[in-house]
Amino acid sequence: MAENSLLRISSIAKSYGPVIALKNANFEVQPGEIHALLGANGAGKSTLVKILTGVITSDSGTIELHGKPIRFTSPDQARKNGIAPVFQDPALIPDVSIRRNLILTGTHEARFVSELAAMGLSINLNETAGNIELPILRMIDLARALTHDPELLILDEITAALPVDLADKVISIMNDQKTKGKSVVFISHRLAEIEEICDRATVLRDGIDVDTFITTKGSEERIVASMLGEKNAAARTLTRNFTSESQSSIQVEIRNISGGKTLSDVSFSIKQGEVLGVAALEGQGQNLLFEILAGEAKPTSGEIIVKGEKVKFSHPKDAIQLGISLVPGDRKTALLSQRSIRENLALTRFRGVLKWGKIKTKEEERSVDNAVAALQIDTRAKSQVKRLSGGNQQKVTIGRWVTTGFDLLLCFDPTRGIDVGTKQQIYELIRGFANEGKSVLLFTSELREIQMSCDRAIVIYEGKVQATLPINECNEENLMNAAHGLVSNQ
Amino acid sequence: MTFTQWRRQSWNIAIIVLAIGLGLWRINQLPQFGAYEARTFILGILPIALLSMGQALIIIGGGINLAIGAEAVLINVLSAKFMEGTDFKTSVILAIVFLLLGTGVGALTGWIISTSGIADIVVTLATSFLLVGVAMFVMPQPGGGINQSLANLIAGNDSNFLPPLVWLILPIVLIWIPLYRSRLGVAMYAIGSNKDAAFLSGVNVNLTRVELYAIGGLFAALSGIVTTGVTLSSSPFANISNTATLNSVAGAVLGGVSLAGGVGGLVGPVIASLVLFFIPTILLGFGIDPSYSQIVTGALTIIVVLLGGILRRRTGKIK
Repeated sequence: MAENSLLRISSIAKSYGPVIALKNANFEVQPGEIHALLGANGAGKSTLVKILTGVITSDSGTIELHGKPIRFTSPDQARKNGIAPVFQDPALIPDVSIRRNLILTGTHEARFVSELAAMGLSINLNETAGNIELPILRMIDLARALTHDPELLILDEITAALPVDLADKVISIMNDQKTKGKSVVFISHRLAEIEEICDRATVLRDGIDVDTFITTKGSEERIVASMLGEKNAAARTLTRNFTSESQSSIQVEIRNISGGKTLSDVSFSIKQGEVLGVAALEGQGQNLLFEILAGEAKPTSGEIIVKGEKVKFSHPKDAIQLGISLVPGDRKTALLSQRSIRENLALTRFRGVLKWGKIKTKEEERSVDNAVAALQIDTRAKSQVKRLSGGNQQKVTIGRWVTTGFDLLLCFDPTRGIDVGTKQQIYELIRGFANEGKSVLLFTSELREIQMSCDRAIVIYEGKVQATLPINECNEENLMNAAHGLVSNQ
Repeated sequence: MTFTQWRRQSWNIAIIVLAIGLGLWRINQLPQFGAYEARTFILGILPIALLSMGQALIIIGGGINLAIGAEAVLINVLSAKFMEGTDFKTSVILAIVFLLLGTGVGALTGWIISTSGIADIVVTLATSFLLVGVAMFVMPQPGGGINQSLANLIAGNDSNFLPPLVWLILPIVLIWIPLYRSRLGVAMYAIGSNKDAAFLSGVNVNLTRVELYAIGGLFAALSGIVTTGVTLSSSPFANISNTATLNSVAGAVLGGVSLAGGVGGLVGPVIASLVLFFIPTILLGFGIDPSYSQIVTGALTIIVVLLGGILRRRTGKIK
């Protein structure tokens, strides 16, 4: 079996600075098989695909193609060796016509057109890529990959947000490849698809391949179980004042919000003193939802109601003035990394400061000191926040709103890449806000943290609210199933 | 045509209309208009048009070269110094050598940017000081010359406007059109449009950048030699190179090249350099101090950039 494998990856490791993306990944693909690559967010799937396609190189480990060791140093080299990827974000140049995009990858135009025709699509080759809808663009990207007649086709979340007819076409293309003796690596969050079309599946968790097996009917459970791993010991429980019976009034409500290519018809409300969890796989529209609530982006339709009044945001400052503050997912976008903790904490205090008046240094110092104490920020490196650890940086981004005051805090994945101890502190902080009667909307990519930190959770799948779960039902399995679109209670 | 394509074309149409309008206005100011006056027009725009084309290539590729004027001044000074008093054959050989030198300087600049990973604007600001310094070292005072036959071949004489017109069109035919149709041309738009997608498509981003800076350097060297041919001398001063650089950026931007990269062509900048040439000459025709023309040029550039920005803000993002 080992001798005839098409591709074999052994003990691959890759770190980005202190963050370990892949610890020890093994993965093997045979000729003529459709192999699913699975894992929760941050398990290392994307990193593995990038290594396979020459986008990045691994720190250690070996790749063998047809039994011969090989090292991919560029996407072009990988393509020439018969490995063709189709990424979630199509790798087409937006400002350039499709024809010129084909020239770029040395793609044979006539063959490309016939591949596209086989999918039942026809496009104007002179059209600029940026003007074409995303689903069609993905199909174009796929047709381009097929034109190179790859030994191994890598499809990274291609079926996500594809309409059913196109998704079916992708699946029949995968089966065609298999019939021709070619292989496909298929990455998808739609577990139902995996069962139906894949021969084998490999599950990654925390940068290690934890399970490889032949998929059969009912593999779903095994997949979900290996994606989650052993349940972590229950974290310290936090005192909650909020219960589902709490009669507190509604802080913020959104009705039928749609926007961008992802969000459609999202409605929910948050009560005073409530922490509402948001669970979703990557790219289901949660980013846009937070941007809309923070006044960074405009919805195409729908209403935002703050304390009973309809509002419209045209700038983040409008949201801030109504007490809605965002702690963004990327700390770099929130912090002035070269400046001190004090300046960063005081940045949003302008509400209370005269526009042209002198900044009241004493008063500012006092409120900053209070925040530093309340948040337990390690101030040893206070002169430049970029020298703080990730966890302490995150505390500064939250602490900023402590000094300013808020009614609804939007936290986007606040514990990503943060150690367990600091995570606990951040959740204590969030619970403290709720106990004071403030509200928090919390998106986290770590599903197990929802039950510990939230009062209720909504699950977003393909831009819609797939499920609303009371806290006692927010176990990982329920969340994971809903996040994969498998169950719905809407 | 789609909206974007129409918008891009509309830009070219607008700048052509503007250039024709200003041209007619200028012609109307003159007592007569014939071949001699036409030659003056072409000579007036030739150096800056070539520079704008070089700058446009680099900006389309997502960079900017603040040393492009200095590259031209250096080649101007070198050619005027070494071509003075030479026979035709020597002058032509020297011209080829200096064109290659300009290409090399450009390539080196691109290589430094790629290797250091430092922003184009910082590296090229530094190289601009360096190159002007070298130019002043080569020739501390204005002067020099060129073989007269070569000068005639570049600038024409009396009412013969064909040679300069050829030098204006030849780079488009021999460099731009083949480049646009080549893989390098696509790669140029690709790295300016979306560097990551370009990389995923198999583009060697660093090499493409070096090649673009090299071709930009070739255009700068052409501009420098043409200046020698037109003025029969050279000036090593920083204010000349600075003005030339800024005009090259203005020409590229007015000519429909997006400073964000990935958008534009080389014909627009040539037309735009006509506009940049007509504004001061028309004002001068009215007896208005040429310094005021800078106000008009500056205001026009701002309006164009502003309009472009407003047109681009059709997306839902507020930022």
